[in-house]
Amino acid sequence: MNVFTIRDRWMNALARSSIRRAFSSGIGMVSGGFLIILVLTAIFAPWITPFDYAAQNLANSNAPPGWPHLLGTDEFGRDVLSRVIYGARTSLSVSATAIAISVSVGMTLGAAAGYFGGAFERMVMTVVDLTWSFPDILIALIFVAILGPGLTSTTFAIAIAYLAQFTRLTRAQIVRLKQETFIEATINLGARPAHILLRHLLPNAVAPVIVAGMLAIGDGIILEATLGFFGLGAQPPTPSWGAMMSSGSAQLFLSPWILIFPGVAVAVTVIAINLFGDELIRALDIRDRMREA
Amino acid sequence: MSALLEVRNLTKRFSSGGGLFRKARSMHAVNNVSFDLPKGRIIGVVGESGCGKSTLARLILRLIEPSGGEVRFSGEDLLAKRPAEMRCLRARMQMVFQDPYSAIDPRYTIARAVSEPFTVQGIKPDGIMSNTVAQLLEMVGLNPGLSTSYPHQLSGGQKQRVGIARALALRPTLLVLDEPTASLDVSVQAQIITLLEELRGEFGLTYLFISHDLGLVKYFCDEILVMYLGRIVEFLPATGAAARHPYTQTLMDSTFEPDPKRRRTIEPLLGEVPSPFDLPPGCAFAERCPHATSICRVEMPILLADGEHRTACHNPI
Amino acid sequence: MSILEVRDLGVAFGPIHPLSGVNFSIKKGETLGIVGESGSGKSLTAMSIMGLLPLFGGRITSGSINFDGQDLTKLTDRAWRKLRGGRIGLITQNPMTSLNPLQKIGPQVDEVAILHLGMSRAQARTRTVEILGTLRIPEPEATCNRYPHQMSGGMKQRIVIAMALAAKPDALIADEPTTALDVTVQAQIIRLLDDLVKKRDLALVLITHDMSVIAQTCDKVVVMYAGRAIEQGPVATIFESPHHPYTQALIGCIPHGLAENERLNRIKGTVPTVMNYPKGCPFHPRCPRAATICSTTQPQFASVGESSAACHFVIGDAS
Repeated sequence: MNVFTIRDRWMNALARSSIRRAFSSGIGMVSGGFLIILVLTAIFAPWITPFDYAAQNLANSNAPPGWPHLLGTDEFGRDVLSRVIYGARTSLSVSATAIAISVSVGMTLGAAAGYFGGAFERMVMTVVDLTWSFPDILIALIFVAILGPGLTSTTFAIAIAYLAQFTRLTRAQIVRLKQETFIEATINLGARPAHILLRHLLPNAVAPVIVAGMLAIGDGIILEATLGFFGLGAQPPTPSWGAMMSSGSAQLFLSPWILIFPGVAVAVTVIAINLFGDELIRALDIRDRMREA
Repeated sequence: MSALLEVRNLTKRFSSGGGLFRKARSMHAVNNVSFDLPKGRIIGVVGESGCGKSTLARLILRLIEPSGGEVRFSGEDLLAKRPAEMRCLRARMQMVFQDPYSAIDPRYTIARAVSEPFTVQGIKPDGIMSNTVAQLLEMVGLNPGLSTSYPHQLSGGQKQRVGIARALALRPTLLVLDEPTASLDVSVQAQIITLLEELRGEFGLTYLFISHDLGLVKYFCDEILVMYLGRIVEFLPATGAAARHPYTQTLMDSTFEPDPKRRRTIEPLLGEVPSPFDLPPGCAFAERCPHATSICRVEMPILLADGEHRTACHNPI
Repeated sequence: MSILEVRDLGVAFGPIHPLSGVNFSIKKGETLGIVGESGSGKSLTAMSIMGLLPLFGGRITSGSINFDGQDLTKLTDRAWRKLRGGRIGLITQNPMTSLNPLQKIGPQVDEVAILHLGMSRAQARTRTVEILGTLRIPEPEATCNRYPHQMSGGMKQRIVIAMALAAKPDALIADEPTTALDVTVQAQIIRLLDDLVKKRDLALVLITHDMSVIAQTCDKVVVMYAGRAIEQGPVATIFESPHHPYTQALIGCIPHGLAENERLNRIKGTVPTVMNYPKGCPFHPRCPRAATICSTTQPQFASVGESSAACHFVIGDAS
């Protein structure tokens, strides 16, 4: 590691200006801004929420939106707004953790498969493709059956469900990059495989995988909500948008707000992630690289 | 005293296709190539697309594994080296690539790219790295201020100079140049070629110069190897030597001069280059050769020496 | 009588003016070479003559392009389509992109005669086979049934030439027709174009970066630099006594045909990009003869002997 690598990482103009570009369009500003607010809200939840999300007040159950409960209360008299905010925390942290695990493992497998090729590549890709062939819910149910319902199962389920995507994407990038002249030039300098992988291949392969990861967080949120809807995700009293929608669906005609607000939260969050992801793809100009394999 | 580079019977076979119902086809990208490159000389390897010259360059540097033959660099057998030894040896034999646009990692600054040889080989430069980088850039005629720029901010000619600086960072003895000026304007080409001449004199370098431009090779090189479909068809010991192989003659006739008084008469060339997967028996050039006789279609001519001049032809000119 | 005459052509893309002050004329049976390095504007000139600028977002801002009496800058779209591929044929650099990979070769060439000459399919096919034969494509009938990817680069380029010839053009514009081809194939194509010009009395505008090709095949030359024509004249004069410093320097950069101890010439600096054309003469930052006036005033074209050059200090100027 010489002086120039540190300086370059600090000053990587290419990446910084791309993120700036992504924010510069109207869609980018709105969706990106929303996501930033969402993340901040989730982080500062304990200080922002007007009420304790678990505090029950049966006297005030099923209250419509108004004051002081801006989004109403649920069947136990708990403040819907506070539960939606804490639900954001649950959804985002579970999905982000799961995708982070998935991206790390997927990139490692994909890079190794792409770089070494041959029988190793075939073996890795076959195993990974097997995970791809299972529907997400089924994977989740298998984990629930083994580990019991809860956030751990949900996290593993999301991680496994998207593993194939990141492995394939990384491998495709590595295979494409291996043909580049600068890789041949680096081999010609006498570089070891580790140097080539870590200093040239992975840094150039990372961009589409990161963006795919971001988009997958949106999918992960939906999967978490789905599991929560069936009571298999976050267990009470931890709020989960899915679980809220589940109990809210029973009250649909009496207190529709219990179902609507978490539902809207999921929808708007995932839309914002997808819109911002698109803007990022456009800014980084990697539309062609987002295709797998 | 042995030559810096000794190549003997170098061969590279590629196969393609081959499934359940179809036999795999194979072709020889490089077929039985032998030559010596003495220290301090420049040998040009000239030929058209598909002749194997780029593959030859990569075989010599062992960027591709040969199917057969031998390469000796400074007397050492390259093909017997283990990977770690080979990596060490690479510091002494470098390459300048054809495409300056993709030869540098787009995420590396020029400084990082030029200092990478030191990083990779674990060698410390004399003095501070940034000074060494500045010196290398000046050596190739670039402003040291460019060291903080990224490749996309440089012109093609500047990028190619960076490639040369990087190749020379560890003071190699052999430089293989794979069409280094093919994608450059002619005025930029002149700058790069002149630079290469100066560097050769200054550092006592030996060049293997690959090109499709026979005129350029005649100007720059001392000796010329002409390749056709993987084989050497002629070895010219001096650039002024007359062609003896009909293919070399065709190449010379097709290389125009910037002088309207010396226009060439272009003879029609019959036929097409045969597919390397489907070579006819005998000389690969026979079906297009104006001098072909019956033996040419049957028997492969071997490279025969006449003094220093070597030709693989049954009916040399 | 010139068949094609370009006067003071200027082109713009938005606020940028990559081309200005281009003048030349060509008669039938003549070959005019337009030579320049990258960014000189030579391809843009070809695009302008063919009316293809709007396709890329450009427009002609000044000057006229006179083809057989008609001013092409004033043509409607409809009239352009009749002319393009008809009386003026275009041969581009990359035959791979000129030919439809999904369509057989025969129908692609037939289409030209059908559209421009109003022939029937059968008549067009006969004509296609005839032209392919003239261009020495082996087995013309069988070739009509093949796809482009089954042909070699040189053959594909001949097919592109066949398409350009199918409608009996008076003029051909060839934009770097041999740059992507091997040297021996290039020689064959150049010879082919030479034959066509002589036998069919065509006017050929040959655009290339290769001065050696110009020397081999052209009658007249226009030398371009940074979007301007800076010298033009008969090919012998241009090479024997170039009047513009750039022309002289450029010829000296070519490694072909040099004597044993002659070294390559070098031009210091680099070609300017369209974003920063220098003021005054575009070549002045790199010119060994430059003086103050060169950086302030655009030199006008002036005749020197048989050719003309745009330079304040032309080489060989007796006055």
